[in-house]
Amino acid sequence: MNSGENDGILDKKTNDKKNIPVLVITYFVVLIFICMFAYIIVFMVRDSRTFIANSYNDRQSLYAEKITKGSIISSDGNILAETLTDDEGNEYRNYPYANVFAHAVGYDSNGQAGLEMSSAYYLLTSNQNIVTQTYNKLKNEKSIGNNVVSTLNSTMQSTAYDALGYNDGAVVVMEPDTGKILAMVSKPDFDPNDIDNVIEQSQDSDSSYLLNRATQGLYPPGSTFKILTALEYIHENSNYQKYSYECEGEDIFDGVQIHCSDYAVHGTVDLADSIAKSCNTSFANIGMHLNKQSYRDLCEKFLFNKDLPYDGYYRKSQFKLNATSDDSDIPQTAIGQGDTLITPLHSAMIMSTIANGGVMMTPYMIDRIESCDGNLVKTFKPETYGKIISASDARTLKDLMLGVTSYGTASDAFADTSYTIAGKTGTAEFNENMDSHSWFVGFSNVDDPDIVVCVIVENASSTGASAKYIARQLFDAYYNYVK
Amino acid sequence: MVTILSEIAKYLIIFFMVLYTVKCFTVLKPVSSDRKRRALNVQIFYVFMIHFLCYMTLYLHYQKKSILIFYVVQMIVSITYMVSYHAIYKESSRLITNNMSFLLLIGYVMLTRLDFDLAKKQFIFATIMLVVTAFIPMLIMKIPQVRNWNVFYAIFGIGFLATVFIPHVGIDKYGSNNWISIGGFSMQPMEIVKIIFVFFLASSFLKAKDFKDMMKTVIVAGLFMLVLVAEKDLGGAVIFFMVFVMMLYLATGKHMILIGGGLGGSVIAVVGYMLLKDHFSHVTVRIDAWLNPIEYIDGSGYQVAQSLFAIGSGGFEGSGLCRGLPTSIPVVTSDFIFAAICEELGVIFGLCLLLMYLSCFIYFINISMKVRDAFYKNVAFGFTICFIFQIFLNVGGVVKFIPSTGVTLPLVSYGVSSVVSTLIMFGIIQGICVLENSGVDKNVTQRLSGQTEWTENSSGVRDSQKQNKRRKTEYRDEQKRTRAQKPADTRKTESDEFWGE
Repeated sequence: MNSGENDGILDKKTNDKKNIPVLVITYFVVLIFICMFAYIIVFMVRDSRTFIANSYNDRQSLYAEKITKGSIISSDGNILAETLTDDEGNEYRNYPYANVFAHAVGYDSNGQAGLEMSSAYYLLTSNQNIVTQTYNKLKNEKSIGNNVVSTLNSTMQSTAYDALGYNDGAVVVMEPDTGKILAMVSKPDFDPNDIDNVIEQSQDSDSSYLLNRATQGLYPPGSTFKILTALEYIHENSNYQKYSYECEGEDIFDGVQIHCSDYAVHGTVDLADSIAKSCNTSFANIGMHLNKQSYRDLCEKFLFNKDLPYDGYYRKSQFKLNATSDDSDIPQTAIGQGDTLITPLHSAMIMSTIANGGVMMTPYMIDRIESCDGNLVKTFKPETYGKIISASDARTLKDLMLGVTSYGTASDAFADTSYTIAGKTGTAEFNENMDSHSWFVGFSNVDDPDIVVCVIVENASSTGASAKYIARQLFDAYYNYVK
Repeated sequence: MVTILSEIAKYLIIFFMVLYTVKCFTVLKPVSSDRKRRALNVQIFYVFMIHFLCYMTLYLHYQKKSILIFYVVQMIVSITYMVSYHAIYKESSRLITNNMSFLLLIGYVMLTRLDFDLAKKQFIFATIMLVVTAFIPMLIMKIPQVRNWNVFYAIFGIGFLATVFIPHVGIDKYGSNNWISIGGFSMQPMEIVKIIFVFFLASSFLKAKDFKDMMKTVIVAGLFMLVLVAEKDLGGAVIFFMVFVMMLYLATGKHMILIGGGLGGSVIAVVGYMLLKDHFSHVTVRIDAWLNPIEYIDGSGYQVAQSLFAIGSGGFEGSGLCRGLPTSIPVVTSDFIFAAICEELGVIFGLCLLLMYLSCFIYFINISMKVRDAFYKNVAFGFTICFIFQIFLNVGGVVKFIPSTGVTLPLVSYGVSSVVSTLIMFGIIQGICVLENSGVDKNVTQRLSGQTEWTENSSGVRDSQKQNKRRKTEYRDEQKRTRAQKPADTRKTESDEFWGE
């Protein structure tokens, strides 16, 4: 190109100049290799466990040849899953609580689920003392795997299991300030001790008892969704306290007819009354004034349409309204009907965020890992997911939800409690016949919240069950036996 | 007892690997040639310790005599090669021969573990190529005209690439039809054409006098890539594109090329993807699989997911040879061998291997910076880019850093065409190193200026001839001066001084 290289041999100066691109590329390559290095290390330290635990990874059988799988223990010290040996010397998993912890603890045969899946790696790692381990290796014997101590509390879990009774549905109990899950029940259930038969039968029936409704059940949120609608209204209107609406039991919004539960006429309501009495027409009215895009943004901040920070099978909640949606979609959406869907776990997480002053904690079920000799191997600390709303917004919502239990829709269930409760009921219609699920989601000790309880009872309109009474039993159990 | 021995061997292998890797970089420091020679010998000691420990573990597990024989034969070949190569070419770089032998040995170890027959096949072809490529430095000294054959490179390269379209010769593998098979022997033309492509660019950029010449080169280079795209060989097309952009950048020295290349590449990728979605169905599948391998684990994500299971399950220290389950990964012997290495020898070993490749890259860059022969500067740089990007594409794909593109890991993966082409590239770089270290032999330069075609190319024949002469004298003087500064005896014995400068 230039005269400096006509004969193919470069003089020193030209060579130095030519080397500039070479140097640039060298730095560039070294940089991308550093990134790749960092990526591999991050994968190993942070993400590899979830991959290893995947049931498609056949390597667990390799671990299992060397290590006897450890036990899963509840936070109050009861064994939830353990390895036993039968008369012929074969190992098998035993679940003393049978159906009670079925979905939360899961199973480990014919695939994996629940804690058996998410903690498989720990259960198949042994921190037994090194001398014993070496001795075992020399003798070609198995070492004993670590025990996983769960956050699940057997009293809360049993109470939830019993309270739900023969109803289908789900219960999630969690600590809002840590994210610890104390109970997770889903019905219908199964006996994990008999999992091979259960799975065989599930293949020829439509029953979904293997599905963990607490994390994978998508339900219309119903009136529980009004909390987010109210919050969006508060964000958009600083004078929300002056809000007033004349409820006549039913009304038409953009051609969509909305009526209150049982066509009840609530009269003149402000925002607090609208929440407390769960007034559908008032909320449809509020919805019509909202900015659709920022409404959607708020919901997505609360993880609608997003991945949840949850280590296990779950489904994403869904919020469809957006800036280009038709106005006629708003009234239903504002009262939690329409296309919006949510899982009970997600509902509990939203309530926890409000209880915890606007900070969402990552929900978790493994508290710590202990070796079979009882030595602590690893503790899982609470992790903050992020600040979703301001502390003052959270306080405002708490005050609004106090009305629900003091004079609103849940006042009958929480009239005589020794602790304060804030929460929201919901009736979610799921078909044309107005059959509905019953929701309650709320938290106790409002000034310094202890637990969040989320209950859904499927088809409660037919069975007569009500989520708020089940929640009441759980709060009582917590203050009587756990706290 | 076997378990304990294998367990100890596992940690010793990692220990020696770390030491070897450290030496790869410390040897670059300017120290006395004596110390450097010692460091290089120590490196060879590490190689054979690792090699011994690996084969010990393999023998303990399989208890087959043939493995012992294979081990001994490998030892003999490697030692003979390292000793005799340096004896023949005093000016060659021992670092390159060390690394090259070690990479081949790692490949043999893993292939013995995964598929003994492939290991033997790989060994036979590599050994033949070691002998053949030993002649390359000699040829480089003897045939300086290679720089003038750009038209030949273009025709031969594109023609050879296109052989995959001949019915009954071209065959489909893993969704791309970039293989040919003649008489039961199959190969990937792309691997060989890579070398030709670099020669084509080096020669064309050298000869280009004006913008028109450059445009011609760009168009022909585009043709190479189009043929690859038509073959659905995405990995190949990406490597060719990177080599092209980087070499163009070197030739012009314009930083805009990098930015333009990056933008242009992205635009081509996006537009190409949109237009050729159906043609590239296996690529779409690979991208989905890359973003969420677990979700697509029943189909396209299976391979990457299995690869990540392997790497994660092995952990930093690995499961130990024969104690993992790398055979669960599809195509583990070629494209995904890095996952098998990480699982059984450990992620630490894998990271060291990457660092070792990176150190090779730095030596190569060193060579291309030192070389003053513009043609070979281009060639050395082109090969360096080719080499390092292939590693990036391979390892990045295996660890899910980037979508998997189906390229091999140089010298370690099983693949005859890949080993052949990599050994040729190493041979040429070694030749360039010899050429430069022997001080750009008087013969070469004289023969160059004696060529009529060469001088005709320069603008204002007489003027430039004078200039050339002056420049050459300057260059020789400088060489003499540098030579004079060093003790005479060190130059004779230690060519790796080259790196210390």
